[in-house]
Amino acid sequence: MKRHLSVEDLARDGRFVRVNIEDRMNDPRNLGGPGAYGRDAAEQADDGDRAARRGLGRMTPDAPNAPDAARSLMHGIFVGEIQALEGAGRTCYDFDLGEGPEEVPYALKLDMARQCWDESRHCEISVKLTESMGTEIGEFGESPFLFQAACNPDALLRLAGVNRALEGLAIDVFHTMREFGDKSGDPVLEFCEDWMLADEVTHVKMGSDWMRKLTVDDPERRARALEFQSVVDKLFSLGGGRSDDEDSPIRLARRFRQMAGFTDEEIDQIADVSREAREEADNRLAARRATATAG
Amino acid sequence: MPDPKKARPPFAPWDRRELPGSFSVEETARRVGNYKWVEMRLFEALGGWVATVPELDVKLRLGTHCYKHAWHSELWHKRLPELREMNPDRLTLPANDAMVEFMDAMTAPEGEDKTLEKLVGVYRVLIPHKIAAYTYHLNNTSTITDAPTIRSLKLALNDELDDWRDGEMLIQSMIENEEDVRRAADRQAELEAIMVRAGGIAGPGSIGTEEVPSAVEASA
Repeated sequence: MKRHLSVEDLARDGRFVRVNIEDRMNDPRNLGGPGAYGRDAAEQADDGDRAARRGLGRMTPDAPNAPDAARSLMHGIFVGEIQALEGAGRTCYDFDLGEGPEEVPYALKLDMARQCWDESRHCEISVKLTESMGTEIGEFGESPFLFQAACNPDALLRLAGVNRALEGLAIDVFHTMREFGDKSGDPVLEFCEDWMLADEVTHVKMGSDWMRKLTVDDPERRARALEFQSVVDKLFSLGGGRSDDEDSPIRLARRFRQMAGFTDEEIDQIADVSREAREEADNRLAARRATATAG
Repeated sequence: MPDPKKARPPFAPWDRRELPGSFSVEETARRVGNYKWVEMRLFEALGGWVATVPELDVKLRLGTHCYKHAWHSELWHKRLPELREMNPDRLTLPANDAMVEFMDAMTAPEGEDKTLEKLVGVYRVLIPHKIAAYTYHLNNTSTITDAPTIRSLKLALNDELDDWRDGEMLIQSMIENEEDVRRAADRQAELEAIMVRAGGIAGPGSIGTEEVPSAVEASA
């Protein structure tokens, strides 16, 4: 078996439909326009620019299309869990044991194997939730962004991109979904998200711990890893939709991130990155409007 | 109320454990090092295969089993220093070259159309041999002096038997016609032949050797 797969190598059955990340992000249902997930027309009209700049509509149980928003998000979580499983599995296999930059310690492989088990359970949980919401596998597209971050030839960058950035995002998403389960009167959803949230904190902590251990004498490598994490954080800040704001679609789960080894300063940086992403989204929107007006 | 000063035997009447065992400390460490090597190669392969199998149920089982074998490898890793091997890497070795050949052959299938070959290698060849070697070790080591190894063997065997059943049922569910039967059988025979040359996961003697008395001894 060869080492270091690419996204094209991922094996899927015939139900899955692959979409690229740009298509996913530009899906009008995720952009806040008419028909956007989680918002009715009146709310969008009142909301002005705020709705348009969000990557995901705010999930409120009383919004007419909230069920579709939740179904889309849950299917996205399900395929994300599959890729997280695959990524952790590949890190068990792709590297020799050792202390060099292209090697990994034995204990890191043990952590990745543990993550495989956790992600397998998350797949089981999320596919059952997906089906209970009336969604079929493949009803929504699969963007392989998580596995892409897990293809990095440097194991530390995999941990930065997947365990710190994307599993960190999962902490925020599961925290939001747990609240949604509570507010929408769905105790099974709330229960499951709470358990998955516990695992995600563990995975992010693994990333934080290994980041510190592997770079204790290599500040340059640490800087590269943090830079990669920041790029991934920005890319998946959902157009600025993840923030500390009360009405944010995905709220930063500060307490759980602290448990997972993030410092307050690091969480502030994620909030800053998200703010930058929101400003860029605003600028893109303004440019599109200007073009439309000129046309 | 029983008299607390009354003399009681150190071994309760139902405790039949005995001192003698078949393995020295050194032989135990050698076997444990072989076990760790096999468990490591197995969990790495299962993790690597997860992305290459399209069948969702298989994918999720491999992810689960990957961790179990990683944990077994950790059990053996921690046992080695207790057996006077302070550098566990030194004994984390294949039993012989044929065992390396076996693991290379078992992990070779890669394509998404090779799930049956992957599963047969693990669940019809390797894991049955692991169960055999662990059972032999369990039944022949000293039940008093080597209790820590016995505990780890029992924990590992519990997982191995569960996983073997999982894997065997997945294989049965994937065999749909005579051609599939042949594919599975051919693959099993190919790998079993290498395993026979290896003598088992801990080399010759993995499941003991039958001492047949010579004609002279028999007649004496």
